[in-house]
Amino acid sequence: MAPYHVMLVHFPIALWTVAALVIVLRTFSDGKLARAADAVLTPLLFVGMVTGAAAFAVGLLVWPTEAATSSPLARNHILLAGWSLAYWTVLWVTRWRGGERVWQGLWRWVMLGLAALGVGLQTITGTLGGYLAGNPSIVSEIVRRLGWEVFTTFYLPNWVLAAVVISAVALAALGMVGARARN
Amino acid sequence: METNPAQEHKTLLAISVILFLAVLGVSWLFHGTGVVHNDLKRNIYIPSELTMPLQVKAAYNGEKIFFRYRWPAQQPSIYHDMMKFEGGQWKRYGDSVPGPQPDGIYEDRLTMLVDDGSVPEFEHYGGYITIGDRMRFFTNEAKPDEVKAHPYLGKKKGQTEVGKHLPGTRSDINNWASVLPEEELAAQRKAGYFLDLWHWRAHRSNPIDMSDDQVVAEGRFGDKGKGVFFTNWDGKKKQPVLMFEPEKTGGRAALKWDDLMQRKLGFEDLYYMREDQAKPFDPNHPWKEGDVLPRRVLRSGDGSHADISVVGKARWNDGYWEVTLARAMDTGSPEDDKIFRDHGVYTVAFAVHRDSMGSRWHYVSLPASLGLTHRGDFTAVRFQGAEPKWDQPWFDVKLFYPGQVSWPLLNSTKHAGAERIKQGVPVKFRHSEIQLAHYGVEMEFNGQIRVQWLYTLAAGILLIIGLGIALNLLLPRKEG
Repeated sequence: MAPYHVMLVHFPIALWTVAALVIVLRTFSDGKLARAADAVLTPLLFVGMVTGAAAFAVGLLVWPTEAATSSPLARNHILLAGWSLAYWTVLWVTRWRGGERVWQGLWRWVMLGLAALGVGLQTITGTLGGYLAGNPSIVSEIVRRLGWEVFTTFYLPNWVLAAVVISAVALAALGMVGARARN
Repeated sequence: METNPAQEHKTLLAISVILFLAVLGVSWLFHGTGVVHNDLKRNIYIPSELTMPLQVKAAYNGEKIFFRYRWPAQQPSIYHDMMKFEGGQWKRYGDSVPGPQPDGIYEDRLTMLVDDGSVPEFEHYGGYITIGDRMRFFTNEAKPDEVKAHPYLGKKKGQTEVGKHLPGTRSDINNWASVLPEEELAAQRKAGYFLDLWHWRAHRSNPIDMSDDQVVAEGRFGDKGKGVFFTNWDGKKKQPVLMFEPEKTGGRAALKWDDLMQRKLGFEDLYYMREDQAKPFDPNHPWKEGDVLPRRVLRSGDGSHADISVVGKARWNDGYWEVTLARAMDTGSPEDDKIFRDHGVYTVAFAVHRDSMGSRWHYVSLPASLGLTHRGDFTAVRFQGAEPKWDQPWFDVKLFYPGQVSWPLLNSTKHAGAERIKQGVPVKFRHSEIQLAHYGVEMEFNGQIRVQWLYTLAAGILLIIGLGIALNLLLPRKEG
């Protein structure tokens, strides 16, 4: 399955990267080109999500589950790939539902930040994939200098896990408070 | 007071983004904590440094081959396995324990495995192939009674632990007890299926300028002949066999515990017992609390067991050990030693014990090729005369803490590279030393880390979904 995974991952990487470029362009411009590019943002993100999900599923079949979940590098790759997919999916839903509203005021900067984070996630995911395929890159050294040794599994202690879950609930609650105030 | 809904949305959006980023920051700062810890009951101790350097040079003159080694150590550990007179009894200090010996009584060591191509996997995987099922000091180590009961390893060879052995000496690599019949083992040995083990010890061989000479085959054994030390303990009488002969040791019948604890005894002092400076133990001697006798006695040894000697003096200076060993290129013992030949190419792998740690708490190397004049990862230089000039550059080796990674594990479904091993892909093609060190540590906590990783994956997705809900509910109202 490895060759098919390598083939498939090109699609989400390319689509999400182009989507990020469109977001950068649209953040800084209300011009005709920026608006035209923005018009294809939702399809780009959607196709990115679908191909990303396919690449993720095929990736899980490359090694036996026991092997993949016992290798620190593979665990990290799965973790980052899962988060990338979820993250870009959220971006797609937001752009799809929000339409032009995501370029109003503070929102365009939020979109820019989200895109930057998404690119970061997919870059690290791709780097780890490269490592697993036998092609290490300098990106892992940058990540190492920022505080994460990629040869160690990225996992959180229980108290941070609790904080993450509480924050997730709090984020949803903040959204509901906002929605209620508007209604 | 009336609030502006648009302003409130902006505030809520800003709070959401800040909360999301704050959680990411906390996660980044505290990731990888809370699982890995020392647990001596499970034989787990993680060294503070996972890698260390070693430098090597080699030279030969047609008769002898010389190796010079240099490695850093905070201090020399030259005391080992002592008996202290305590409350009228002799109590042992300095046995092998998980991690550092608490009293600092465990010697530094340097080992080198050598092969001439007769052990095919060694060239690609080095010492990993010698780490079999349920090895000593692994969390799941075989119990001494199990090993003692084994008809060959226990009853015939007197082993009490599962030590290093070669995979081909077992019918099933996943079962340490599945030793091949003796006639097959003998045939393997004749065919050269063994690793030569040079074993220099800072206490149990260095004071008499010798190194132990061992072999790894179906187990780890000394070569034929007398070893360079023996045990100074009479189990029946529960007392030492020998004591210092004061006439030969400046009037001392024993060492002093306080001197050992304060590390007062250096290279030029008496910190070891040589057979020729000892006499039978006298229980009626006025032993005092804190008297200490070494539990190992040094002797010159003989036969193939005593082939390797120290050249000059092996000493620690300014933070570095420097040790030079020499051996006849052809010892005349082809079933114990790998015979070095001019222009031959060999595979070697090194290990260092330091910081008062023994057994599996060592730093190991990946295999390296050694060419005698012939090109290899490093080259043994041919010279004329009795001793080399050592004017060639050092060969730099990175050693790493290997953790609990065994050959059965590497060939199992738990290892993604098991298929590559079957194809003969060398370990260094896929893994660096630091990577192997981290993997080794993680393997000691594999189950716990896997669970925590799964929780982290799920929590992260939940956080992203939470962010998504917040963003979508806080979207500005549609105009019109």
